[in-house]
Amino acid sequence: MTKRPFLGWFASPSILIAFGITASVLAIVQYSLRAHVPGSIDPGGFTLANFATLWHVAYGLVFLNSLLLCIWTALFALLIGYPLAYAMVRARSLSLRSAILLISLTPLFLGEIVRTYSWMIVLGNRGFLNSVLLQTGLIERPINLMFTMSGVVIALVHFTLPIVVVMLAAALSHIDRNLERAATSLGAGRIRVFLTVTLPLSIPGVVAATSTAFAWTFSAFATPQMIGGGQVQTISTMVYQVGFASFNFPLAASLSLMGLLFAVAVLAIFNTGMRQLERHGAH
Amino acid sequence: MLIDTAQASAQQTADAPAVRVEGVSKSFAGSVALEPISMRIERGEFLTLLGPSGCGKTTLLNLIAGFLEADQGELYIHDKPVTRVPPYQREIGIVFQNYALFPHMSVARNVGYGLRTRGVPKAEAERRVREALALVKLEDFADRRPRQLSGGQQQRVALARALVIRPRVLLLDEPFSALDRNLRAAMQVELREIQTSLGLTTVFVTHDQGEALSMSDRIAVMSRATIRQIGTPSEIYDHPQNHFVASFVGDANMFRATLLEAEGSDARLKLGETEARITSFQTDLPAPGPVTLFVRPEHCHLAEPGTPGTIPATVALSVYQGSHTELHVDCPLAEGGRAMLRVPSRTSVAPGEPLAIGLAESGAAVFGAED
Ligand SMILES: Nc1ncnc2c1ncn2[C@@H]1O[C@H](COP(=O)(O)OP(=O)(O)OP(=O)(O)O)[C@@H](O)[C@H]1O
Ligand SMILES: [Mg+2]
Repeated sequence: MTKRPFLGWFASPSILIAFGITASVLAIVQYSLRAHVPGSIDPGGFTLANFATLWHVAYGLVFLNSLLLCIWTALFALLIGYPLAYAMVRARSLSLRSAILLISLTPLFLGEIVRTYSWMIVLGNRGFLNSVLLQTGLIERPINLMFTMSGVVIALVHFTLPIVVVMLAAALSHIDRNLERAATSLGAGRIRVFLTVTLPLSIPGVVAATSTAFAWTFSAFATPQMIGGGQVQTISTMVYQVGFASFNFPLAASLSLMGLLFAVAVLAIFNTGMRQLERHGAH
Repeated sequence: MLIDTAQASAQQTADAPAVRVEGVSKSFAGSVALEPISMRIERGEFLTLLGPSGCGKTTLLNLIAGFLEADQGELYIHDKPVTRVPPYQREIGIVFQNYALFPHMSVARNVGYGLRTRGVPKAEAERRVREALALVKLEDFADRRPRQLSGGQQQRVALARALVIRPRVLLLDEPFSALDRNLRAAMQVELREIQTSLGLTTVFVTHDQGEALSMSDRIAVMSRATIRQIGTPSEIYDHPQNHFVASFVGDANMFRATLLEAEGSDARLKLGETEARITSFQTDLPAPGPVTLFVRPEHCHLAEPGTPGTIPATVALSVYQGSHTELHVDCPLAEGGRAMLRVPSRTSVAPGEPLAIGLAESGAAVFGAED
């Protein structure tokens, strides 16, 4: 056994963070089991009533809506991010690679509020996008993007793109170029090489990127709140509404908790599914 | 379709070389990786590219494979220009140093890859995969994944995968350098047997001179982006044409000398204080002046110190090798100050003892300064 003298030092911050997260989750669990006292911020006695309240079609629809939002966002982020990542890893010119990296990382440098406001300016009925489309005569009436699912998805794709591109690029850059050369020498053209070698070998990266995009979207709040404007309900916006508009903290806590469990379950199913596909797909 | 045209043209030009390289060169961002090179590789020939690291072996191989585009020159495979033919249409089999097996496919799927891209019917493909695996003695491993195989087994899968498409040329880039000594020797024999039995044109890259000498029909010795000599192993070993080849392949003694006069292959040399006459294997000798005298250890013998025409030296180290003893001697006339000769094991010489190196009548050569 080799000695790793700094391991304790390096690990200590993560222990602190883990402690913080555990404490806050426990606090939420605790809140979710307390009764709501109307007109008071302090919770009442222990009860399971909050979870019973959540067992309702309206909340189910919000969960479903969140799921749909995540799926669309992850899908489009992947469709846009994969070619970008591929170009970034494979481009011969260094300046092109740097340019792609820089452009795909910009969303990270803007704050969430700034980014979302920018999208509101772009997506509005008299916003940038509609003005351009109207002016060029491509459309006759403005497309409704603000306060719609599509608008929220567009903004969230922008938000998740950096992490998707970076994770896919990492996965792609680890693929041995000789594998593609071997396939080429065996008679495979570019498309076939991509479909039979590059793509299958990048699946772990796709899974990781999709999971992350999924989790980011799931936890996004400002974007669905501001661009959705109350018309696009997600679990996060619902938690905010229940907690800070109705001041029903216990219900908000149980909603958060169910949301967390829901996200974990969806990701677990997705990961297992992809692993099965990987094992049996290309064998 | 591709294969049919390839075979048709193969019949038309049955005596054409498998590969013809004409003035092909390559630079990367201004630095020359390969000077213009011309050579022929005959059908069924096992040609080795031998040279130190960075001399351009992989570059030449990649040019033949089509992974790199030549700056100038033309490349012919079976007498058809292929310089602008993409690699997937060149009908070339390649084995990489790191095997490059598809990790997400079974051994059988790996080997069958090139058949699937060619649309070979399933039944025939399965049969050919089985045959290829039998050829490399891996019939029982068809369902394994590459990572479940040893290095040597992976190497054989890579070979089977390249062979199954019946390539016009097989290219191997240092295929055995990751294997241990014993396995390496076994794989060398196996590859040579398979190659001979299939009559397969093969270009093999190595920087191991022993491997090159033992396996090849011909060796192209490369250094600094050019081919310095191309010939059979014995031509390369016994009759090196220049200083680089002489010192890179096999053990060589190089002595500083002055060429006094030359007549045909006979040369009279001044070696320090003394003069010597040698018969070189070269047909044309350099102009009189400072030269390097090249003699292999087996063409040197122990002589009495002071004998005319011998080179004085003192024993530095004697290394017992079983069948013989290697005497490493300090010698002021030798390049690097050291020379080596092999003597029978019963000869007893102690370090520090003065001796003289006698030269055999043949087996020597003189290289001018520019060689
Ligand atoms: N893609 C490339 N870009 C720039 N320079 C390159 C590239 N490939 C090769 N070179 C240069 O070309 C020269 C020849 O390289 P090459 O790979 O052919 O050498 P090699 O003989 O195969 O060496 P080794 O035995 O180390 O594999 C080297 O100086 C190398 O640095
Ligand atoms: Mg190389």
